Amino acid sequence: MGMSVALEGDARQAAAVKLAEEQALVRKAQAGDRLAFEELVRRYDRDVLRLALNLVRRPEDARDIYQEGFLRAYRNLHRFRFECSFYTWIYRIVTNVALDHLRRRASRREEQAPVPLDADGGTRDFFDRQPELNAAANPEKRLFGEELGRHIDEAMKRLSPRERMVFEMKHYQGLRLRAIGDLLGTSEDTVKNSLFRATRKLRASLDAVR
Amino acid sequence: MQRGFDSNSGADVSGANLSCAEWQPLLTLFAAGGELDPAEEDRLAAHLAQCPACSQSLDREKELVAFLASNRTEPDASLLASCRAGLSDALDREEEGGWLRRTFGVLLPTSWLSPRPAWSAAILLAIGFSVGILAPRLLRHPVAPKAPENSGSKVAATNDTGSTTGASADSSDTSAPANLAPSALDLRSADVAGINVLPSGGGESPRVELQLRAQQPVTVRGTVDDDNVRQALLGVLRQGERVCPDIRLDAVDLLRACNNDPEVRTALCHTVRTDRNAAVRLKALEALDGAEPEDIIRETLLDALVDDGNPGVRVEAINELRDMAAKGRVTSDDRMVSVLRERMQNDPSTYIRLQSAAAIRDLGPREKF
Repeated sequence: MGMSVALEGDARQAAAVKLAEEQALVRKAQAGDRLAFEELVRRYDRDVLRLALNLVRRPEDARDIYQEGFLRAYRNLHRFRFECSFYTWIYRIVTNVALDHLRRRASRREEQAPVPLDADGGTRDFFDRQPELNAAANPEKRLFGEELGRHIDEAMKRLSPRERMVFEMKHYQGLRLRAIGDLLGTSEDTVKNSLFRATRKLRASLDAVR
Repeated sequence: MQRGFDSNSGADVSGANLSCAEWQPLLTLFAAGGELDPAEEDRLAAHLAQCPACSQSLDREKELVAFLASNRTEPDASLLASCRAGLSDALDREEEGGWLRRTFGVLLPTSWLSPRPAWSAAILLAIGFSVGILAPRLLRHPVAPKAPENSGSKVAATNDTGSTTGASADSSDTSAPANLAPSALDLRSADVAGINVLPSGGGESPRVELQLRAQQPVTVRGTVDDDNVRQALLGVLRQGERVCPDIRLDAVDLLRACNNDPEVRTALCHTVRTDRNAAVRLKALEALDGAEPEDIIRETLLDALVDDGNPGVRVEAINELRDMAAKGRVTSDDRMVSVLRERMQNDPSTYIRLQSAAAIRDLGPREKF
């Protein structure tokens, strides 16, 4: 009991130190220190890119969201008043950029099955990267995996941008619904309803496939 | 039993007389994890014990989440590196445009202009005419600022024949004004055309000459301890791809001598993470040897080990980590062990896999972090 209290105290202290360091970095960045801003970016950019990539499924689109999100943060850094964590503030900006992107894409109706690009610029399906599904090992499984991926992508396209965002952030980013509502600037009830609708639509689309 | 309603989901959560459809929102929240309070969880558990249909529905919900998880993509290191490099370039462009926005933002507040399109158009035309008429006259007669007094470094102007002159230039040299000294801010964004390192003796810092491209070529001389020289070298690293890799290599090499300066250390860490040239990243890693605080250096080394696509850089990173561990300059934590284990299993280089295993062994039993 004493050990767990001590460990919990250490963890709180470490979190407080980390928060103080981050606030110092933010102040330096607000004063014009570019390297301080880039250090802040580095703390969260992997999570941001993961969110963007799994929402839009195309690396080039994920890159655009990444860049636009962090550029907006850079331009508006002077408006950050430490009323929330920097993490929340950055995510709020990036989710808005991602939602705008999804809405524009939905209205353009340029949807094709998004295929990730490899480092050489060639197309490469997600399942190609899974060693147990490579063509040399099992071509039938590879084809099945590609087909499955297409079904999932088609099912995700039936969600509205907000439903897609809420589903991704709840199940794969690990955020509470209240925190998601805060990021999206809406109520927890609205977020819950988005989650219910998303789940209903996905089950309807994918129950036959699974 | 009296019916009660969950104010959030609108469902009757007392448990009595609820249809399976009315339980569905709670099942979704339960499958999502961490969204129900203990009382709601107890009522749901009691219902699931009696209702096979809802129990099956919950299982299907969890399977759906796991099934969709199989289609998730983790950004690979090359995509992340490319995003970071792209952002760095965008920030460079942003900074270049910044002074223009600041200047015109003061003179022409956009909050006043935006609802007055006619005024905006008139002002734009006026600006255009002014620049067109005045700019040629101004450009014909550039004004040279005076050089500030500086204890160590000298800044000299290069005359038309290309040879450099010192601050005490011959007054008969009228083609190039003496004591031309860019401000410290200009040095950070100056275009460096070349770096010469002059040999020194007796353990002194080597003397450095940096040739800067400007409207009039400028040479900055001094040692890496001089603020002007250091700012210009840091500017080289900040500008990344815009400067020739050889010059970036020289800049990193020179800044190694002051790697405990926080600004230099931050710039070297940034170069390790973002420079597109593997040789420059490798040189920056080497330049961090002996820098403090060790936890920041360790994080940079771990990032390089995970993210760098070049095996030579990763080799240098693991070698330095092992060296720091051997000297007791790092203690293990979750991230370090996790990275080393992952590299031990997945790195394409046999050497790195073996060194990662050896590093885990070196770290020994985990100390309290």
